[in-house]
Amino acid sequence: MGFDMFKKILFATSATAASDHAARVAFNIAKSYQSNLNIFHVMGVPTRGYSQVVVDVKTKEEVSVDEDYIAWVTEEIKTYYEKYLDESLKYSIDVAVGLPAREILRQAKTMKPDLILLGGTTGDEDETVYKKSLAGSTLQKVAKAANCPVLVVNRPAASFWGGLSNIVFGTDFSKTSDKAFDFAIKVAKALDCELSVFHALDITPLHTGKMLSQDEIEQQIRESLRKIRARYESRLKELKGYSMDVWEGIPFIEIVKYARDKHADLLIMAHHSRKVPSGDIRLGGNVEQVIVRAGCPVISINK
Amino acid sequence: MHDLLTGLFFWIALGVCLIGMIVRFIMYFKGLSWRLDRVAYTSYPAAGFKGAVRSIYKWLIPFGTYGWRTQPFITVAFFGFHIGAVMIPLFLLGHSLFLKEKLGISFFTLNATFADILTWTVVVSAFFLVLRRMVLPEVRIMTTLYDYFILLISIAPFITGLLARYQVGDYSFWLNMHIFCGELLLIAIPFTKLSHVFLFFASRAQLGMDFGIKRGGMKGTKMAW
Amino acid sequence: MPEGKFCNKKPIDTAEGINELLSDTSGNNYYKEMEKLEIDSDLLWKTIQNTCKSRIRTWLEICAHCGMCAESCFLYQVNGRDPKQVPAYKIQSTLGEIIRKKGKVDNKFMRDTMEVAWAKCTCCNRCGTYCPHGIDTGIMFGYLRGLLYQQGFVPWELKIGAGMHRVYRAQMDVTDEDFVDTFEWMVEEYEDDYPGLTVPVDVEGADIMYTVNAREVKHYPEDLAEAAILFHIAGENWTVPSKGWEQTSLAMFAGDWAACKMQVETVYEAMERLKPVRMVGTECGHAHRATVIEGPYWAGRKNGQPPAESIHYVEWLAEALNTGKLKIDPHKRIKEPVTLQDSCNYIRNHGLKKATRDIMKHIVEPGYFIEMSPNKEHNYCCGGGGGFNGIGLFRKQRNIALITKRDQILATGAKLVLAPCHNCWDAIRDLEEEYEIGIRWSFLKPIVIKMLEIPEHLQPEE
Ligand code: HEM
Ligand code: HEM
Ligand code: SF4
Ligand code: SF4
Repeated sequence: MGFDMFKKILFATSATAASDHAARVAFNIAKSYQSNLNIFHVMGVPTRGYSQVVVDVKTKEEVSVDEDYIAWVTEEIKTYYEKYLDESLKYSIDVAVGLPAREILRQAKTMKPDLILLGGTTGDEDETVYKKSLAGSTLQKVAKAANCPVLVVNRPAASFWGGLSNIVFGTDFSKTSDKAFDFAIKVAKALDCELSVFHALDITPLHTGKMLSQDEIEQQIRESLRKIRARYESRLKELKGYSMDVWEGIPFIEIVKYARDKHADLLIMAHHSRKVPSGDIRLGGNVEQVIVRAGCPVISINK
Repeated sequence: MHDLLTGLFFWIALGVCLIGMIVRFIMYFKGLSWRLDRVAYTSYPAAGFKGAVRSIYKWLIPFGTYGWRTQPFITVAFFGFHIGAVMIPLFLLGHSLFLKEKLGISFFTLNATFADILTWTVVVSAFFLVLRRMVLPEVRIMTTLYDYFILLISIAPFITGLLARYQVGDYSFWLNMHIFCGELLLIAIPFTKLSHVFLFFASRAQLGMDFGIKRGGMKGTKMAW
Repeated sequence: MPEGKFCNKKPIDTAEGINELLSDTSGNNYYKEMEKLEIDSDLLWKTIQNTCKSRIRTWLEICAHCGMCAESCFLYQVNGRDPKQVPAYKIQSTLGEIIRKKGKVDNKFMRDTMEVAWAKCTCCNRCGTYCPHGIDTGIMFGYLRGLLYQQGFVPWELKIGAGMHRVYRAQMDVTDEDFVDTFEWMVEEYEDDYPGLTVPVDVEGADIMYTVNAREVKHYPEDLAEAAILFHIAGENWTVPSKGWEQTSLAMFAGDWAACKMQVETVYEAMERLKPVRMVGTECGHAHRATVIEGPYWAGRKNGQPPAESIHYVEWLAEALNTGKLKIDPHKRIKEPVTLQDSCNYIRNHGLKKATRDIMKHIVEPGYFIEMSPNKEHNYCCGGGGGFNGIGLFRKQRNIALITKRDQILATGAKLVLAPCHNCWDAIRDLEEEYEIGIRWSFLKPIVIKMLEIPEHLQPEE
């Protein structure tokens, strides 16, 4: 059966070493599933109000953006990814000016991709200035607002996309998680993988408001397992293999541990826009934390 | 000579000065244009009037504005010069008698010692104004011979007046010189930068209306712009 | 070659014209051609005779050359007290000279004058409040820019910017469709978090007609969402016009008065079409100046007022907070040293200092708001006003100009700077980029949204 869930992929890249891991995955997926790959590069915001000058994320130099320059950048990107760009790949290259997250979303709005692929630090090279303007990270913003799954590759360890066999799906029983589950099931079916459904019980006192006794913990674990079964098991049975687990601890740590334990090739989670305290990026939501730590690619689903 | 200076020349000088001032004052306001200046002068007479009065009044008070307060040296020199420059010609006893005789009008008169003090203050202040022009680079760069010329004709009646007053040498010579210089000054007023004597009020009134009507006055700002 | 291909006296009226000029990287050829550009002295002198009337003539005549304005100009202070930066000197040696020579000046003179007009004055009007004669040099520079524009001596970016207004009625190539689309897109993005969030387009008789800065549409559309959210939570009956939504005017910086008129008339037409009770503009200083303070005169409105009462965003926000339309959660107020940038265009030149101070009282924990010194009407320009931010040719001078604000901020000790003005916001961002003093800066909208108490019925259900 042909896999047609990723017909159009938007790959946002800085075309620098920072995006190399993501690039490997992007080209890999595109080739494996004959996707249309749009390589998308954002040059940065004009440094002066209405002017044409931007600080190029690649060279860190101030440049004046005009048609010639854009043509040159496009050429540069081609050269950078030369080894991937052969006949078998259907690709296009676009270059835009603006805030990375916004421009990626804008591109996604017109292109309507099936998947957005980001490097962990895509477009955030310009740390000093944009971070501090209270703008939030590219990752967080794209994951929050995108209408399609967002795949993020942060660590080199996560940059492998081979024949998928184990997918881990982390749930918190929200509506968005249900949507993420639909997606996870579809991928698992199409690629014939095992799917492990996981829930992490947050026992940090900050969350629970008190120290839980061991009995209480085990009681809650049992409850959660029941919930998982009730919600997901009927559909999991359609797969060749599945498992369901609940661990307790700090959620993002547990899920990373669990994925490692399961030799997961892919982690799928829902993104919770509202729960993410907007100002603080680093300590942001679970998904961000998982992305930063996971040893495999992570797909975040929002809608 | 003396008769000529206090007769015909005096009338000419006074006439030119007064008529010149009036004409230029009227021309100034006629030359204001709500469209070019981008100020709706006539639409808000109350706001405009308040702005204009505040702008003039505050700037006439020593240290009355932020601008004066930030630069005490020139403020002292300026007021030292100007208080005398305005009071002496109008209220000096000698002038008063002269005006009474010529025009039949007289204002109150200054006590003689006070007049002396004022006059000396004018001269000393003028000295500092000149010094400032020569020493401070930010003033020197703009200063032209014309500026010194204006200072000279402004101060000449004071110097000559003093020489006459203390009867240094030939009294009547200095008195004639003095009257000549004074008349020269009067004639210069409408035609030179000395027109600021009355255009100051016009210019300040304009800016006062500008801010009073358009740039904050109607939003409650009470600044003296 | 009197008239160049890129650099000439003709304003740009077509999209092709804009693209052609844009294709000249950094205006290199444009400035080269400028060296050969001829001056139409007759036209120049005729224009001066028709438009330079008693106010400016008197200013130039009675200026005592006393130098009291020197210290008031931040560019004088920050350039080593170079006497060439004294406001009165700057204007006397340029506009004064042109008038003395009855317009018979040469090319070199005009190019130097261009530098003075755009790189040695930001039209902040501070000096005008320090001159004993009430001589407002900033206004004269605005006038001088108009003469220079007429003769083709205008920085490349501003020639383009003025062209943008002529072609798109916006400072950037943002069309009316782009505007509405982007606004709707942004509202969609946020409607999950704020149920019922919408952007009412072209509603007649609304209480508020909102206008923006095209840059928000192009690069910072979150700002649109934030505006929508705040109106929504405040329960305002608001709308945006599908045409006439752009409040800014680079044409004003350029001295292209005809384009200024065209631009501002589209906004006034929107007011006349939709008949809102009030117009509220975004957090931008020069936009407010252009549309609310100067605009009525460009459009020939004798009473000096736009067709509908028009207020700045800070006035609306202060009112919403003061009347309780918006409520701040006291626990979420800013609890770190924070300072505030006073924009020349609506503080010194429109007296709105109380509105911003009121806002600070609501959003900052008592004791944490630190005023810059000097402040309010006496505050210094951010360093990038009057178009300075955007001009590549004068970038170096602009970076020096930022030092004033940098030192003012450093002296407060605050690490957070609130800058309710696009130009100031940009300048402060650039000064952090240039001098790395470790500050953050923000508009008011995002800060206020984070600390709002959202009424029960407007909260998302989970
Ligand atoms: C009510 C009447 C007057 C007003 C309001 C007035 C106002 C001013 C102002 C605002 C200045 C510029 C500020 C400054 O130099 O610091 C000035 C300068 C000057 N005024 Fe007057 N003035 C008046 C009368 C006079 C008179 C009667 C004279 C001459 C006798 C005079 C001579 C000068 C001179 C020479 C300067 C230039 C000072 C310098 O070199 O710095 N003024 N005046
Ligand atoms: C235009 C006609 C003027 C006439 C006829 C005139 C006449 C006189 C006379 C008769 C005296 C008395 C001298 C004495 O002590 O015996 C005098 C003194 C003086 N006048 Fe004038 N004057 C005129 C204009 C001016 C002007 C325009 C100024 C200054 C701006 C001026 C400043 C003085 C001073 C400073 C003294 C000496 C004051 C003192 O007693 O210390 N005069 N003048
Ligand atoms: S302060 Fe006023 S009068 Fe003095 S030099 Fe400046 S502009 Fe001229
Ligand atoms: S308007 Fe501002 S920048 Fe221009 S000369 Fe005056 S103080 Fe300096």
